[in-house]
Amino acid sequence: MSKDINDTMSPVINADHQVFSMSVMLANWRAYYDITKPKVVALLVLTALVGMSLSVPGGLPWQLLLPAMLGIALLSSAAAAINHIVDEKIDTVMGRTHNRPLPEGRISATNAIVFATSIALLGFIILYALVNPLTAFLTLAGLVGYSFVYTMYLKRATPQNITIGGLAGAIPPLLGWTAMTNEIAPNALLLVLIIFTWTPPHFWALAIHRKDDYAKVNIPMLPVTHGVSFTKTQILLYTVLLFVVCLLPYLVGMSNWLYLVGACSLNLIFFGYAWQLKFHAKEETAMATFKFSIIHLMLLFIILLLDHYWLPMS
Amino acid sequence: MTENNKNTRTLRRLVLTSLLLAIVVIGLGAYTRLTHAGLGCPDWPTCYGLLDVPQTSAQIAAAEQAFPQRPVEPAKAWNEMIHRYFAGSLGLLIAAIAFFSIKLRFSKSARIRYPVVLPLFILCVVIFQAALGMWTVTLKLMPIVVMGHLLGGFTTICLLFLLYLRINAKGINAQGANLVDGQLKKYSSYALLGITILTAQIALGGWTSSNYAAMSCVELPICQGDWLSDLTFEQSFDLIPPSKDSYEFGHLAHNERVTIHVAHRLGAIITGVFLAWLAIMVFLKARNHSIKSAAIILLSLLIIQISLGVSNIWFSLPLKVAVAHNLVAACLMLSLITLAYKLRKNSEESLYE
Repeated sequence: MSKDINDTMSPVINADHQVFSMSVMLANWRAYYDITKPKVVALLVLTALVGMSLSVPGGLPWQLLLPAMLGIALLSSAAAAINHIVDEKIDTVMGRTHNRPLPEGRISATNAIVFATSIALLGFIILYALVNPLTAFLTLAGLVGYSFVYTMYLKRATPQNITIGGLAGAIPPLLGWTAMTNEIAPNALLLVLIIFTWTPPHFWALAIHRKDDYAKVNIPMLPVTHGVSFTKTQILLYTVLLFVVCLLPYLVGMSNWLYLVGACSLNLIFFGYAWQLKFHAKEETAMATFKFSIIHLMLLFIILLLDHYWLPMS
Repeated sequence: MTENNKNTRTLRRLVLTSLLLAIVVIGLGAYTRLTHAGLGCPDWPTCYGLLDVPQTSAQIAAAEQAFPQRPVEPAKAWNEMIHRYFAGSLGLLIAAIAFFSIKLRFSKSARIRYPVVLPLFILCVVIFQAALGMWTVTLKLMPIVVMGHLLGGFTTICLLFLLYLRINAKGINAQGANLVDGQLKKYSSYALLGITILTAQIALGGWTSSNYAAMSCVELPICQGDWLSDLTFEQSFDLIPPSKDSYEFGHLAHNERVTIHVAHRLGAIITGVFLAWLAIMVFLKARNHSIKSAAIILLSLLIIQISLGVSNIWFSLPLKVAVAHNLVAACLMLSLITLAYKLRKNSEESLYE
């Protein structure tokens, strides 16, 4: 591993190469765009935006809103890019991901590292200078937790990888909250808890779909180590847990009845998918469950937002 | 497994039949509009209170007494009623598809996850389309309703076609085999942009026809005379027109119609250039046979459609050419949807994969 890093890092020092890499970067912007997982980052930024909105009553100051969103987006993109770099070898072998930019050779690992480091640095500076140091360091912690702790270690170490590593992806609402208030509030942690509980059923549905791929590259995902049936039971139980956790914003008086109705409907549907996956699975139920989980989280946070502005709690 | 195959085959046949029927209904709709038969029956859903058209002299006399403002013209009434009966059959067929889809989706033995939201959505569209059909008559051919009715018809056929593509893809590659390599990826978004542009151009075409502006420009390539100074955007694109007894043969002034017509011509240039570029680039870059052929079909239909548009001007809107211009527009959209479908990305990602 360390030899690989040395190999890929050394050309960065070469100035000629760097000029070359800049021109390649511009010509090949699509590949750089792809390794940032733009859709996932958009969802993360949405959850951060909801964190910001719920932290204060009324409108948000754009002087904080814009740099906070930009900084969180840049650091999340960097984290996703690092994930692509670290996983290049297994992506080459796995069926569904072999046509990612790095395994296909559309960009080199060196250029990807330079790119990821640059946007991470830029994002950190934006957050530190224009928002507040607390948010900057928390966001950086999210990046380290996701790219290094999860991708490099947990993912390859334990079938509970996603359960623990999910914390990194769950942090954006807290980042949004601290960006506005500069303090860690209990209600922000509640939003984090929702995403934290949502992550295992979300990802295990995909892991079931790609079980053979993960087995091929020796990644100990739960369906590989404990079997598909056990994973499906876990998904079903987690959707029940998620149902309960999603009631908390209403119970603590953070959100109004609109959120309660929305959250209950979404969680019932999610539970329905999990039930079907466990007891009446068809060819594509796992993938459909995965796709729905994304819609679930997106709508849940949009409803949080609507509820906050339409039916504000006094 | 054999039962699954049989169900899939039945569903596929139903959808294919309804697709063909939808093409016929769209053609009949255009024919009705172009033969000025939209008000051939002044009431809805009956025609002068009858299930068919008044024919005997006694029936005609009774009809004209009941609807004194609209003398009976049997030929026009027939056009309208035939369109209504075909459209009604299509609606029933789509209802059957929706019910069959629900049955398949919730059947315990089915191993495939049949689409159910899309068929139900098509059913809603077709019900709304029936309402629009009624309003074309009761609101006396108000342009926005006529254009909406056209777009509703196109939406129906496009969604039916999408359903057909999805059913066909089932079973063959449930994993969604990736035909698309890195080079081709960006054209997926461009194909979606193409669908947006073509939709706008079809809407402009519908607006041209429903405002009776097809003959307002009789010269190529854009318009006759000093058309630039004729342009007026004030009322040309007002969606809600002033209240009138009837909008048949148009309610707008000449230069407003010129503006609409010019917009459709300029739209044709933009759409033509963009789709031609898209088809040629995809053809050159694709390494896959099925994507290449989709690009060729798109380009051929585009050439036919532009030729038909030019013929409409050149030969002063012959009925056959005008109907064909409408039908080929639908085919062009379907071929573009095919291309977009084949180029689509399996883009759902997770942070944790």
